[in-house]
Amino acid sequence: MTTTAHADPPRVGIVGTGGISRAHLPGWTELGAELHCYSLTGAEEFAAESGATTHDSLDSLLAAVDVVDVCTPTPAHPEIVRAALDAGKDVVCEKPLALTAEESRDLAEHAERAGRRLFPAHVVRFFPQYAAAKRAIDTGAVVGELAVLRFERTGSLPDRSWYADEELSGGIVMDQMIHDIDQALWMAGPVQKVYAQQAIASSDSTVRTAHVVLTHRSGAISHCRGFWGPVGTKFRYTFDLAGDGGHLQYDSAGDPGIVFDDVASARQSSGDGFLPDVSTLRDPYAAEIVEFATALRAGAPTRVDAADGVLAVEVSRAALESLRTGRSIAC
Amino acid sequence: MLTARTIDPATPMKVALMSCAHTHAVGYAGLLEARADVDLVVADPDGYGDVRGVRVVPSYAAAWDAWPEGPDAIVVTSANAHHKDLVLEAARRGVHVLCEKPLATNLPDAEAMVEACREAGVVLMTAFPVHFAPEVEALRTALTDGTLGEVIGLTGTNNGKLPAGRDWFTDVELAGGGAMVDHTVHIAEILDSVFGPPATVHAVTNRILYAERAGEGAETGGLVTLTYDSGLVATIDCSWSQPADAPTWGGLRLQALGTGGQLQIDAFAQHVGGHGQWLPYGTNTDALLLDAFLDAVRAGEAVDPTGEVGLRTVAVVAAAQESVRTGQPVAIAGA
Repeated sequence: MTTTAHADPPRVGIVGTGGISRAHLPGWTELGAELHCYSLTGAEEFAAESGATTHDSLDSLLAAVDVVDVCTPTPAHPEIVRAALDAGKDVVCEKPLALTAEESRDLAEHAERAGRRLFPAHVVRFFPQYAAAKRAIDTGAVVGELAVLRFERTGSLPDRSWYADEELSGGIVMDQMIHDIDQALWMAGPVQKVYAQQAIASSDSTVRTAHVVLTHRSGAISHCRGFWGPVGTKFRYTFDLAGDGGHLQYDSAGDPGIVFDDVASARQSSGDGFLPDVSTLRDPYAAEIVEFATALRAGAPTRVDAADGVLAVEVSRAALESLRTGRSIAC
Repeated sequence: MLTARTIDPATPMKVALMSCAHTHAVGYAGLLEARADVDLVVADPDGYGDVRGVRVVPSYAAAWDAWPEGPDAIVVTSANAHHKDLVLEAARRGVHVLCEKPLATNLPDAEAMVEACREAGVVLMTAFPVHFAPEVEALRTALTDGTLGEVIGLTGTNNGKLPAGRDWFTDVELAGGGAMVDHTVHIAEILDSVFGPPATVHAVTNRILYAERAGEGAETGGLVTLTYDSGLVATIDCSWSQPADAPTWGGLRLQALGTGGQLQIDAFAQHVGGHGQWLPYGTNTDALLLDAFLDAVRAGEAVDPTGEVGLRTVAVVAAAQESVRTGQPVAIAGA
């Protein structure tokens, strides 16, 4: 594992200053990072919020930082990741690593050749509910051998036009459901085949759902259900993990540590519907950034690495292939 | 061939409950025995002995002969593989039938049963009690009256413990399979009642849960994905994934997603809980099922859930089993 003599606190360059850069920001702020940013649009606004130094080119940013955090739309990931690796930088890259399995594998190999770390930001691994389940599964004592896993993720289509374009985002499978595909892989291991179905409302193409069924090499089977609901749909995530030794369930809607009644809640402002309300949790995005930065300093492993990012894209692509052909796809 | 029995409303209906093999027999017997408008005889040819306090006879022949003119109707609660012979015999005698689900263990048997009852002019209904759950009725209403807008997806879970006390439930010869046979049909019936038959069926199964107790070859976990010509996609988790020490047998939930929002139902939500406790207090759907059947017999015409829907759900299971064999989705013929 490569260690790097980075400045401490690190100098980080955020590339792309849209929605997800705001989610990554608190982690870098917590680390006291020296912030730089470069973006085709919105860099000044981000700099004003974050105190980051703006750059008018990627090269200029790369010359000023130790770590690059790629927060652009997915189609731009490969070029930026490669440029950062070639400049000798370690890289955090928002998920999915790339739109195709080939590109994802290429990025992981590129990092290997460059001797730099590449962290795919699969933030759900840092949600404490999933992490708790994963720890319990790994002990073997809580659920025994996993048999049937179900994951649901519900939200609204993110309010940015490129998400709705399947060519650019990979659609609901590649953008939203990849979180749960990654969870299924994390918990039940590699898969041998994938079957997927998707439905897009004919009356409103922003409303869509996908079902993906994974058959793991272990014999376990997983169902992932994604939903981009109508405007106002509340963010929700659930899992149900049945093994021969026990059963684990979680539903974010059934986790009310704090309950306002109808009168009080009518006075609360509503969320934006696609990023979770994590106000009572350790911010999983911050936990993710801190784990990556800490691992860079110590040369330590992280709970998600480039190979995991590649696998998630490979399985998601197989799901898209199943959508296209109507067939079950071997992995 | 005899013609179908017409029922004299002034005298109690003569009903024979055929076999105590199914665990539902006890409940049906209790409900039927309590009715003044039913004269009940129970056949217990396997000698299970747990239906008590009613007139029990030791053979099917004794039940058929319990009245000089025979029964008006039978309720079939035998092992699944024996449904066919009992239903065909009832049709031959012009006797009306309520048959436990799944209607049959294979498609040809189910087709023969529906055809025989149709030709004989007898009522054939399939015992899907959850059809009568008020939560399911609310779902059907919301799916059909536009409350949920354009419905694009459903997820159903019908999870339970490994059926206990009756080994035939996990014997693939007698039951027709494992969890996928036992637990796909309830949700398939609910979906059928709203959307009609699916276009394709895909299924994967395993036998990790209860692997040491399930009969050889019986799947204990399964995910069945249905597509419809409208584009709708639905997945049923039919697994026996309820832990053995849970305070209740399992449950049935459905979640529907549309452009008008979401609805989730839990057909067995009504209970008083507590540590390790489960005290159900909801609607007795078995009683509603028997009401519907007895009314249908008096009227001479089946109502939902009919034998035909029982047949269509057997077709879904048969397609799911074929999908497991081939590894690919299977088109439903004639859908």
